Amino acid sequence: MDAQRWERIQALFHQVLDVPPPERRAFLAARADSDEQIVDEVLALLAADARTSPVDRALGAVAGDVFENSTAPASVGPYRIIEKIGQGGMGEVYRARRDDLGSTAAIKILRDAWISPARRDRFAREQRTLAQLHHPNITTLYDADTLPDGTPYLIMEYVAGMPLTVHCRANRLIIPQRLRLFRDVCLAVQYAHHHAIIHRDLKPSNILVTADGVPKLLDFGISKRIESDAAADATRTALRLMTPAYAAPEQVRGDPAGTHTDVYALGVILYELLTDTLPFDFSRLTPQQADAVILEQDPIKPSVVARRSASAGAAFDGSREAAAEFGAISRAAWAELDVLCAAAMHKDARQRYHTVDALIRDLDHFLNGEPLDARAPTFVYRAGKFLRRHRASAATAAAVVLTIAALVTFYTTRLARARDAALAQVASTQRIQSFLLNLFEGGDEAFGPADTLRVISLVDRGLSEVRVLNTEPNVQASLSHTLGGIYQKLGQYERADSLLAAAFAQRQSLFGAGHPDVAQSQIALGLLRIDQARFDDAERLIRDGLQSAERLPASHPVKAHALWALGRVLQERGKYEEAITVLENAVRPIQDGPPSAEGVTALTELANTHFYAGNYEASDSLNRLVLPMVKQIYGERHPLVADIMINLGAIQFQAGRLQDAEAQYRPAVDIIQAFYGPWHPATAAGLTMLGRALVHQEQFDEARDTLLRSLAIQERVNGPSHPRVASILNELGNMALMQDDAAAAESYFQRTVAIYRSTFGETHYLLGIATANLASVYLRAQQYARAEQLFRDALRVYSASLPADHLDVGITRIKLGRALTRQQRYAEAEEHLRAGHDIVASQSDPGVSWLTAARDDLRRVYEGLNQPAKAAQWR
Amino acid sequence: MPVESAALDDLFTATYEELRRLAARVRGRDPGETLNPTALVNEAYLKLAASLNMVPESRLHFKRIAARAMRQVLVEAARRRSAARRAGDYAAITFDDALDAPVTSADKLLALDFALKDLARLSPRQALMVEYRFFGGLDLAETAALLDVSESTLTRDWRAARAWLARELSGT
Repeated sequence: MDAQRWERIQALFHQVLDVPPPERRAFLAARADSDEQIVDEVLALLAADARTSPVDRALGAVAGDVFENSTAPASVGPYRIIEKIGQGGMGEVYRARRDDLGSTAAIKILRDAWISPARRDRFAREQRTLAQLHHPNITTLYDADTLPDGTPYLIMEYVAGMPLTVHCRANRLIIPQRLRLFRDVCLAVQYAHHHAIIHRDLKPSNILVTADGVPKLLDFGISKRIESDAAADATRTALRLMTPAYAAPEQVRGDPAGTHTDVYALGVILYELLTDTLPFDFSRLTPQQADAVILEQDPIKPSVVARRSASAGAAFDGSREAAAEFGAISRAAWAELDVLCAAAMHKDARQRYHTVDALIRDLDHFLNGEPLDARAPTFVYRAGKFLRRHRASAATAAAVVLTIAALVTFYTTRLARARDAALAQVASTQRIQSFLLNLFEGGDEAFGPADTLRVISLVDRGLSEVRVLNTEPNVQASLSHTLGGIYQKLGQYERADSLLAAAFAQRQSLFGAGHPDVAQSQIALGLLRIDQARFDDAERLIRDGLQSAERLPASHPVKAHALWALGRVLQERGKYEEAITVLENAVRPIQDGPPSAEGVTALTELANTHFYAGNYEASDSLNRLVLPMVKQIYGERHPLVADIMINLGAIQFQAGRLQDAEAQYRPAVDIIQAFYGPWHPATAAGLTMLGRALVHQEQFDEARDTLLRSLAIQERVNGPSHPRVASILNELGNMALMQDDAAAAESYFQRTVAIYRSTFGETHYLLGIATANLASVYLRAQQYARAEQLFRDALRVYSASLPADHLDVGITRIKLGRALTRQQRYAEAEEHLRAGHDIVASQSDPGVSWLTAARDDLRRVYEGLNQPAKAAQWR
Repeated sequence: MPVESAALDDLFTATYEELRRLAARVRGRDPGETLNPTALVNEAYLKLAASLNMVPESRLHFKRIAARAMRQVLVEAARRRSAARRAGDYAAITFDDALDAPVTSADKLLALDFALKDLARLSPRQALMVEYRFFGGLDLAETAALLDVSESTLTRDWRAARAWLARELSGT
């Protein structure tokens, strides 16, 4: 073949793709120009098109172990290594012989990469307990130890055989025979479960069938041990499973596996035995796409697949075998096999067979011609929003885990006494746990109002389930506390309040003062009060919490949390210097370790406080420092990432770099909205910031839409007198001012001032800003006396809350100067203009318009004061 | 491939070395972590851009070089491994249906490299496309930009090329 020919072949290839297969040869022949060979070549290319290509998979899959350095030792213990018989994800397997006894064994040497030195001894010890599994269908583990260099190895029964599926095909087993083999496999898995060992990686290549037709399970419990160690380590993304085909939805989500996970894998294996195909085809999908399929796509029913291949077989090569086999089983029976498979493979672990026992029971029912226990599922449980990839250690999830750990401990104690029933309960608890953990996953879908209600009803269901099961009061308090926090995040403050208060009361009576749980509840209530804009109560509660936590060591998470909360409330109240001190104290003990959720939270708050205090450079550096940490801990699309981006945007905004600000705000809003939904206060907050940036770029239409959307949300969630409502009104007022709509601007700003005054009192800088804004309206309307009055009021407010050289102070003084200039009170004007100018000019990136305004007015002032020399200076 | 100037040579060498280092670190780091060319290339870029003081005209240009470097890194490693295996003191891998695939990653990689050279004779652009996407982890848009064709052309090219490779390498 040469280049030209290849061109021709490709051209024909693309043309013929749209032609139905039976007509392709003719189509090509007509265009071949009597070059018969080219027809064959194109057809061959078409056939290859349907196959997997080496470049379909990721590079890592093809080249992953090219850097492996390990070579096999010549001997391991008393065994002599003969040959390598395979390579798996975890290590190499060798056939070995023991010359003194003449016996053969399989030795699996685990890769160094898998196990840190600290864990090797523990691993070996654990494997020795696994050696207690004695079952005819489980490859016996003889021993486990480590090589001189510390590499762990396992000595296992050597099994020569074919994978289950290959065996069935090669021996042309009919379905009843396959089902009996399958049953043996299930018995083995059941046996292991009764010893509280989950396989976690069941697949045909792990089930070998010997020449005598005996199935043997390999690799029991290994993955389980390793993964539970991995999970105990610092945050990491879920291990990428080697065989997605058998991965259960909960494994894809990163949830803890249970016996139900093995049931799922058995379901997939059953599917394969019935149809000779896998339920899903991942060959052309990315890992993320594969995950989505596992979580959401239903497989084609086995009966349908089997019927298809039966008729296909009959049509193409006249083979009657498949057809006969298919027909040998009645329609009704096929329907039951469908149900069996579906019940084993159900995406909701709760609707699956809870145990392998249940699966075996129904298998027996089928084989004996009795009705099944499982019901045909009418729909697939689809809480799609919650079935998202789990990110370990989201901070909110961490808090949840801490409280749910109490629940799980409680249930696992029961486990020792009544295994089967308890397994169901554990599954239920895990469901609550995974539901709660999943609640704040990053996701692509929004919680609409209806969905939010569903979230709440599910949460309530979780709550009532727990009550029904009669939990201990401290566990109930933990659950109330956690649920309260969730309601708060959902913006449902009333429900949050009653739950948090209930938890607090319960804990107080259980533990008395000074207990960390009590402190935690006080702080949680205090934080809720912040959201409710009841700042006096907030500060009081948080200080109480800090008091309760006094005896705890500085590094105790509750103490760090208390300090952070105090910093937060001080910041919200405008007491920036105090807040900075408190937060620096909070950050100090956590700073030395790796990025942690508490450290990140405190750092973020410190960054925010510096911002509000006008220390923009400090704020910027802190935000930039924290952003990668947040991404690392929470993931790229977590709302905390969005928060940081908003911070960075705000700093850009303050510096007048509006496009840069917008560039930060937009993706942040996107993340927030995807996560919380279109009616959530966080979405409103993001929209406000974005709207503000748009206003200042004079993109008024989009700005108005954005801000009005935000206003609607805030009014709905917080009522008409909330500071967040005020903040949006403030922006709308600014916009009206820019569009010279003085009346609208006046009305917006008046509302704003009223709200800030009633919620913050007289000394919050936001009141100052709102007042100054209102004053600007009058300035524009040439009502200079009124403007002057209000500017002075604003400055009075600033003096109580901001440093004298704060940018806002500078700007307001310039404006006051203008109001005075216009009234020809030049001497007074000069003082404010000079001061204001100096303040603004000393900023690292001063807004030019302010300086220009100041200069213009100063020139006028000096001309008015008859000092032409000075006037000239300000040209 | 256009003639490399001395500066580009230096860049290539530096990239090559860096990718080698990074790739070798991958296995030792995290058992679940597979070789992700995009991540490695990004990491290499950040490192080199900072230390070399020599930044190519565009990030895209760097990625092009990195793709080539990555391919080279892997092929060399595969060659070393293949040789070691043959010379090693354990028996050649016998293919038992019971356990994993017979052909090692090293074999597959070398076969792919060889096939790509063939493809380059038939269509230099398609071979480069595969190199950029598969070894360099570049996406469709980036590859189209580098090769100066439309994305739709590239999609067609990709379809044909992958089929061709599937056919060429069906033996392995």
